Amino acid sequence: MAATRTKPSAREIFTTLEYGPVPESHACALAWLDTQDRHLGHYVNGKWLKPEHRNSVPCQDPITGERLAICLQAQAEDVVAAVEAAGTAFENWSGLPGASRAQHLLRLAKMIQKHQRLLWTLESLVTGRAVREVRDGDVPLAQQLLQYHAVQAYTQEEVLAGWEPMGVIGLILSPTFSFLEMMWRICPALAVGCTVVVLVPPASPTPLLLAQLAGELGSFPGILNVISGPASLGPVLASQPGVQKVTFCGAIEGGLRLLIQESVWDETMRRLQERMARLRGGRGLDGAVDMGARGAAAHDLAQRYVREARSQGAQVFQAGAVPSDSPFFPPTLVSDLPPASPCTQAEVPWPVVVASPFRTAKEALAVANGTPRGASASVWSERLGQALELGYGLRVGTVWINAHGLRNAEVPTGGCKESGSSWSGGPDGLYEYLRPSGTPARLSYFSENLNYGTFGLAVPSTLPAGPEIGPSPATPYGLLIGGHFQAPGARSSRPIQDAQGNLHGYVAEGGAKDIRGAVEAAHQAAPGWVGQSPGARATLLWALATALERREAALTSRLERHGTELKDAKVEVELSARQLRAWGARAQAQGHVLQVAGLKGPVLRLREPLGVLAIVCPDEWPLLAFVSLLAAALAHGNTVVLVPSGACPIPALELCQDMAALLPAGLVNVVTGDRDHLTRCLALHQDVQALWYFGSAQGSQFVEWASAGNLKPVWVNRGCPWAWDQEAKGAGRELGLRAARTKALWLPMGD
Amino acid sequence: MPSVLAEPSLLPAFSKALDLSWISKMQVNQPAVLRRAQQIQARRTVKKEWQAAWLLKAVTFIDLTTLSGDDTSSNIQRLCYKAKYPIREDLLKTLNMHDKGLTTAAVCVYPARVCDAVRALKAAGCTIPVASVATGFPAGQTHLKTRLEEIRLAVEDGATEIDVVINRTLVLTGQWEALYDEIRQFRKACGEAHLKTILATGELGSLTNVYKASMIAMMAGSDFIKTSTGKETVNATFPVAIVMLRAIRDFFWKTGNKVGFKPAGGIRSAKDSLAWLSLVKEELGDEWLTPDLFRIGASTLLSDIERQVCNNPLSWDKLTSVFLRKKRKIPYWAMRTREKTSSDLPHCTQTSAFIQANPHLKWADWTRERECA
Repeated sequence: MAATRTKPSAREIFTTLEYGPVPESHACALAWLDTQDRHLGHYVNGKWLKPEHRNSVPCQDPITGERLAICLQAQAEDVVAAVEAAGTAFENWSGLPGASRAQHLLRLAKMIQKHQRLLWTLESLVTGRAVREVRDGDVPLAQQLLQYHAVQAYTQEEVLAGWEPMGVIGLILSPTFSFLEMMWRICPALAVGCTVVVLVPPASPTPLLLAQLAGELGSFPGILNVISGPASLGPVLASQPGVQKVTFCGAIEGGLRLLIQESVWDETMRRLQERMARLRGGRGLDGAVDMGARGAAAHDLAQRYVREARSQGAQVFQAGAVPSDSPFFPPTLVSDLPPASPCTQAEVPWPVVVASPFRTAKEALAVANGTPRGASASVWSERLGQALELGYGLRVGTVWINAHGLRNAEVPTGGCKESGSSWSGGPDGLYEYLRPSGTPARLSYFSENLNYGTFGLAVPSTLPAGPEIGPSPATPYGLLIGGHFQAPGARSSRPIQDAQGNLHGYVAEGGAKDIRGAVEAAHQAAPGWVGQSPGARATLLWALATALERREAALTSRLERHGTELKDAKVEVELSARQLRAWGARAQAQGHVLQVAGLKGPVLRLREPLGVLAIVCPDEWPLLAFVSLLAAALAHGNTVVLVPSGACPIPALELCQDMAALLPAGLVNVVTGDRDHLTRCLALHQDVQALWYFGSAQGSQFVEWASAGNLKPVWVNRGCPWAWDQEAKGAGRELGLRAARTKALWLPMGD
Repeated sequence: MPSVLAEPSLLPAFSKALDLSWISKMQVNQPAVLRRAQQIQARRTVKKEWQAAWLLKAVTFIDLTTLSGDDTSSNIQRLCYKAKYPIREDLLKTLNMHDKGLTTAAVCVYPARVCDAVRALKAAGCTIPVASVATGFPAGQTHLKTRLEEIRLAVEDGATEIDVVINRTLVLTGQWEALYDEIRQFRKACGEAHLKTILATGELGSLTNVYKASMIAMMAGSDFIKTSTGKETVNATFPVAIVMLRAIRDFFWKTGNKVGFKPAGGIRSAKDSLAWLSLVKEELGDEWLTPDLFRIGASTLLSDIERQVCNNPLSWDKLTSVFLRKKRKIPYWAMRTREKTSSDLPHCTQTSAFIQANPHLKWADWTRERECA
């Protein structure tokens, strides 16, 4: 290393023209640690919290191994204290006018600006990242985030009328994160009036410094509280009754997968290697290195991956001026990985790039969408048409055309599939921390007794419930799957009783097999429906509304038989038709173009369908809820599998007859049967891309649990009935927000 | 390291037949180039010994230039003297560089002043090459016949490097064959002299055109491609340089021939010159960092480099000890600004430091030279 070598003289350098060290002084970071006697606790309610009798872990310089400080590990009672402080602060903070909150966020931005040097040296010192990256990228963006969200807070009363802050937000950070990831989440939360408790992994001083900067503003000390502790405290934080929402935040950017068209493979690889050879690695606090180190763990991970790839016959290219000892790892290009190798599936670690060839753009799209991750991707092509087609086709949260890694506070960033389904930045980020006014706060509905293994597993047998009354023996309603009615796989029916307890009719008893068929049919219909213009979607929804109105008499009488007053039944049918028309109209206006500072060219904020959406409808408002959910989902381009109300499915099934005639086959599939059983089938199904559940608290809990396995976005009502006839709910913006996914498509331009 | 004083190697000029397929599919991605240009300036800095050494190295790449209407033999003489002794002897001594025979790479003048320059350099007993601009500099809007004659006359007068400007009309109208033919004729007219082709990138319209023009110029046998005349509104910029350097690299990969690169126009500060050095180092590698393959066209850059070498903490340590030995008091601004860059110095101090450093220049000369740049 440079330190052990004798320093070359100017005369020697004149000949070699080598780069020298450009050390960035980190004296201020050390001085800050000294103010805490190198003993960091937690920052709660504007004060340092250093409880006694706690375990502690050392915070080390990842490169020299020098011990920088000791960090206390929190225990459950520290988390409780932090949540309490945040709860108290929430009362004042959320009651403030938006303008005052904006003022406060701007003061924090100023504070960061004043202490930016401390911030970037501390971050670089502790994480080993290149100081240039933190100084030129993260710190300005952190300020920009605060400024953008200050503006959002200022206009909150006007733009976000009808929404209120959720309350205390719990934020759990992964072991390798950058403080910027934390800023992406706390800024919108604070802007809309929430307060935050952040659980950071042990030995991460930067969030503590940020909390101190926020705390030293004086006025609202408890809005940002930082607890450092092990990951096992996550469930403790999540189960605190005061915490309204928990968000996770993943690791900083890992390795990359590169798909290169065969026709330019050689040329691209050559250029890539040439460029990689000029990368410089070294101590993060050197101003002239391209990449720092990320600690011994990251090094070992990369080494293991590269070793395995090599043993499987891959070509490994390593280059760059990088020190050869442990925490440093050279930039590595892996190619010719055999398709069957486990490395092809595994996540690529930093700083490794895996390149593989493809023949056609279609093939590239299939490969790229075949991975379980979906955060971001970049497309490099000089052919605009091709680049745009790929950009639209990629199932990721952010696509850059001919650029990579651009971020801006105004542009929502998120992901899909395993990369999560929450958003930060832009308007989408704000809604993450808001709920429609008047909705009850999250209650602790979590039940320890729910047996996930058996929930909805067995279907109670259905027996004849006679005696049948009516003009003729009622034929059982079939299942609407793939455009026509069919008998259930189980070949049995379930009786539906009316308000008086008399038999109203039989509906099919659907099961796992029918769900599979319905999901399959929905998948087949998806490409056709996505390809429809919003106008065409609107036309279909309007046609359905007309058909519904034609059936008004029948639907009203069905509803009446289930105990709805005639007047209310009429209103319900009328509202249902209105919902279909309203969503048809809304389908036309989606997405918009953002103009971002510092970027020449637009950023398109696209609203893309979720894909195959499963909806379990509530028992209340059996027709209106069914139609509202259906209309919102269809308007946004989803194909759906619906489970109608359990107690009163018949009005919905009546409408199915029109849908079978009007809509493309497979667009809407309706399965009746035991709700718990069907919910179980849908929640555990790997190809259902999103699930909305309106039903019991237990069912909600199960759905949330099951979706943790396949990370599908879910929306549950936690057993709270909704007022579907009110604009804020049934037709409200939340439904629209949930029915589509945002994608940011960056289009830098210039010739 | 061969002495920079060595006779510039007059290799037989390389040229190849025109191959339009090398440029026809080419498309430069401007946003990506801009981003790279932005990054590269922030990513590489050198300090202390490294800075001093790099700055001195930059001196050896300079084509010390004067291109103004009022050039006379006296200021050409001064220019040549400065080319021979670019940095104060005492500064070189403090860095132990006084025996390296440090000179600039060449002097660059108008054709009519070539005789003066050759005479002055001969009188000073050094072999610094004389470069001459030619072919209707800076606009290139004269007849081909007179442009070719201009080259021949300059070569006759003793110029060993000719900086020609291309005909922008041919680029903007896409007449690549005609452009190739013209540069071929320039090449022939140069004979043994080196041909540096000025692309006047500020007037080419797009980066794609810059790439194509670079490729044509190299195919036609240029020894160097040069960004601009210094007389356009947009001169040497990083994005343009990246495109030209990539073209040079592509040409090298395709033919195995190394073509040189010369940014010119608007490079005034020592800091800029360091950025240019690291740009070439990053894009093409160390083998391009020799006066045979890299030049910086500049008129006022040298004085800033000298000032920066003087401000380098390394020189300071030694110079201040000289001050102390002579029982001279360190001026207050020197104490305050030792750790800072020269831009922190009050303006009047900068000026006086410059005048002290250039006793051979008269005040009027200096201001004029500054304006010309």
